[in-house]
Amino acid sequence: MLPTYASSAEREKMIRHSYGAGNTGGTPLSPTVAESSAGRLHIRSDKYDKFQPRSSRHAYQQRRGLFMRLGGALTVILLVLMFFFPVLRPAALSSAVGMGMAASNDAWQIETVRYYDLANVGGTSRGWEREERILLCAPLRDASPHLRMFFSHLKNLTYPHHLIDLAFLVGDSKDNTLSLLSDLLTDLQAQTDPKAPFGEISVIEKDFGQKVNQDVESRHGFAAQASRRKSMAQARNWLLSAALRPTHSWVYWRDVDVETAPFTILEDLMRHNKDVIVPNVWRPLPDWLGGEQPYDLNSWQESETALQLADTLDEDAVIVEGYAEYATWRPHLAYLRDPYGDPDMEMEIDGVGGVSILAKANVFRSGVHFPAFSFEKHAETEGFGKMAKRMKFSVVGLPHYTIWHLYEPSVDDLRHMEEMERERVQREAEEAERKLRQEQIDKDFDTESHSSQWEKDKESIKKMQDQEASKAKADKAKADEAAAKIKIETAPEGRAHIIDPENAIPVVGGKRV
Amino acid sequence: MAVSRSLRRNQTITYILAGILCIFFLYFFFGDSAKIPSLPAAPRQFLKSKEAASNALSPPSLPFKRPAKLGPDETPPPPPVVHYHMNNVTTTADPVGNRESVLILTPLARFYEEYWENLCKLTYPHDLISLGFIIPRGREGNLATQQLQERIQKTQAPTNKNRFASITILRQETEPTIVQSESERHAFGAQKERRAAMSKARNSLLFTTLGPTTSWVLWLDSDIIETPPTLIQDLASHDQPIVVPNCFQRYYNEEKKAMDIRPYDYNSWQDSETALEMAKKMGPDDILLEGYAEMATYRNLMAKLDDRNGNPQAEMQLDGVGGSALLVKAEVHRDGAMFPPFPFYNLIETEGFAKMAKRLGWHAVGLPNYYVYHYNE
Repeated sequence: MLPTYASSAEREKMIRHSYGAGNTGGTPLSPTVAESSAGRLHIRSDKYDKFQPRSSRHAYQQRRGLFMRLGGALTVILLVLMFFFPVLRPAALSSAVGMGMAASNDAWQIETVRYYDLANVGGTSRGWEREERILLCAPLRDASPHLRMFFSHLKNLTYPHHLIDLAFLVGDSKDNTLSLLSDLLTDLQAQTDPKAPFGEISVIEKDFGQKVNQDVESRHGFAAQASRRKSMAQARNWLLSAALRPTHSWVYWRDVDVETAPFTILEDLMRHNKDVIVPNVWRPLPDWLGGEQPYDLNSWQESETALQLADTLDEDAVIVEGYAEYATWRPHLAYLRDPYGDPDMEMEIDGVGGVSILAKANVFRSGVHFPAFSFEKHAETEGFGKMAKRMKFSVVGLPHYTIWHLYEPSVDDLRHMEEMERERVQREAEEAERKLRQEQIDKDFDTESHSSQWEKDKESIKKMQDQEASKAKADKAKADEAAAKIKIETAPEGRAHIIDPENAIPVVGGKRV
Repeated sequence: MAVSRSLRRNQTITYILAGILCIFFLYFFFGDSAKIPSLPAAPRQFLKSKEAASNALSPPSLPFKRPAKLGPDETPPPPPVVHYHMNNVTTTADPVGNRESVLILTPLARFYEEYWENLCKLTYPHDLISLGFIIPRGREGNLATQQLQERIQKTQAPTNKNRFASITILRQETEPTIVQSESERHAFGAQKERRAAMSKARNSLLFTTLGPTTSWVLWLDSDIIETPPTLIQDLASHDQPIVVPNCFQRYYNEEKKAMDIRPYDYNSWQDSETALEMAKKMGPDDILLEGYAEMATYRNLMAKLDDRNGNPQAEMQLDGVGGSALLVKAEVHRDGAMFPPFPFYNLIETEGFAKMAKRLGWHAVGLPNYYVYHYNE
């Protein structure tokens, strides 16, 4: 390690030389200066001691180079690793960075501005090709028995699922609708097939405090209709206003209690490219009620009679279709169905039923809603149809394109069913009784099939008598023979007798003599 | 020298070992963090007012988290199931205390700097305010959009602690019929068509931006350039379904040689017998308008009933309302009260809105002595 020392000495020398050089140009070197320089030298030597680890400083410098090299190597290795393991790529790195400043970084991660052009969401007849989003709305109340069926329908829809946003309003439910819905939805979104999950899913929980019962009788009773319609309309409006987005081109309303509907219903309805469109809604019936029946009577064409009737009614009155109280003579979509008719046939209508409505989102954006008040003497879906018409939107129904509503027997039906059941039981009992009697008669009086049997019986009885007589004779002989022995014998009558020869009691025919 | 070299080599080995260790450490650290499966979503995810939504598919009245960058073969996770507790959405006289969110809706035809500045000056907590704009198509609309977006960029920068919760900009689907001058715009004949188009714009804006967490809707026209900074709190404190301040305009009074104010919006009124009689005689497609000499209705106009030194808290019942500034409880709109684009009881737009709200059981009050100011063209 000489060089280091030498170099320092040389440097010292050089410095001294420079001193000298500096002084040659200026004042002559005075002894004091020399002295001082000598003194300094001395001090310097001391300093040298201090600087003795100079070599180590040098090593440190070299080590720094090494550090640099190592650091470089490390980075290269890391980069190589990053190249091979995508896990280590910036996402992870940024997460590491994010860990440190997560709190301050929040604002950067949040978007606050959205821009939408409503011209792009007008809705066309081929929405599935243009990636048009549909909002599927379903108001629910005590609907848990039907939810599983409804979800199977959802899963079967052929319209691209990621383009369908689901919105549910759950209110005033007394059963487990909400928890069941939540579970089913979570399942729905957790499906592994990337095409299975739906788009935005909102569940709106809102109770309106409705007093009306949801059971079939009170639901369809005439007196309850007006207020029921208004509260249903309110629920629909709340759901729509909370769930409609600027991205939606279509809105589809669907009741959960539809039992059968084509998987392609969205495309089928959309193809018509109408502002509001509804299919025909029927329901299957038990055979004894005729097999099938029109269900949704709220889709109809306006009639003169109904308009005149509307003029005579109070401002807040609501005409409800399908009740004898108001005879409107309107042509109903439901009654015009021909099972073999063209399913694409359209019919202009004025009132619409709410079981399955496909409407362009533009209709709702323009302000058409489900009136929760008497709008032109109608409320809810019928009022919706009226209001859409008022705003010059096209409203059509498809008389020969049918979906099937679940059959829930009405109270009348139930009564009828009960009666029929009673009749059936009675009929069965009668039949059984008749059969029994017949059998008895046959048994008692039918001679033809039994005559031969009788002959046989007679013969066998005769044979038995002969046998008994010969047997008795043989027995007597035997008894005489065995008089000296104790013997147990069974009499032909079945009674057992002890024969006791020591007492010398002869037995004949089972009697002691 | 040799000693030192060997020493140095030793150190190198140490460093290399340390480096490898370090790499291993880093690898397992990150590797593990990436491998930990994300926690399964809670069975019920509730979204409360002004929380950021986790997906871009969410109500526009809420901000949302930027989606994570995905690789080419990755698919984004399906949107979560989100529950909204609408039973808990309140509308009370103390909206700040109850953290009630407000949606400010503005049909924007022209962008005024003063409007934006006034908006930014509102003292209501900005993280509870969402903004919604609807802008017509066409050149004027493009210009307004551009100006608005420039201002938004500044206001909504992540560094701004006082930025609004969210902003939605909509462009109308149809071109406005004719661009009108001020005098043309108010001509009687053009009114029905113009206000029908305006109604549709308002409804489009309302029904697409009204989220499930919104408590109040404040309608504020783009030419309202001056309001008290406590506008929302003041109007909400009345706890009424619909509250309308008096819309005035500042102008230079030539007679007094000083700045003065004059009434601007005549659409807030109490009905009169005359007007009702007139409506009865009209066909179902005719509309009754206020502020035109052709049609003297003798209604009680709020604009004429102001008292400059009166109590700003004074209320009056209204049958028709103007739309330049209007605070509405969100449930009124949710029940279905909208701006009829067709003659509804011979009324249209905001006046028809008041009528429809009344049919649904909601009433409107006006504040004749509480002023907001309209831009002076």
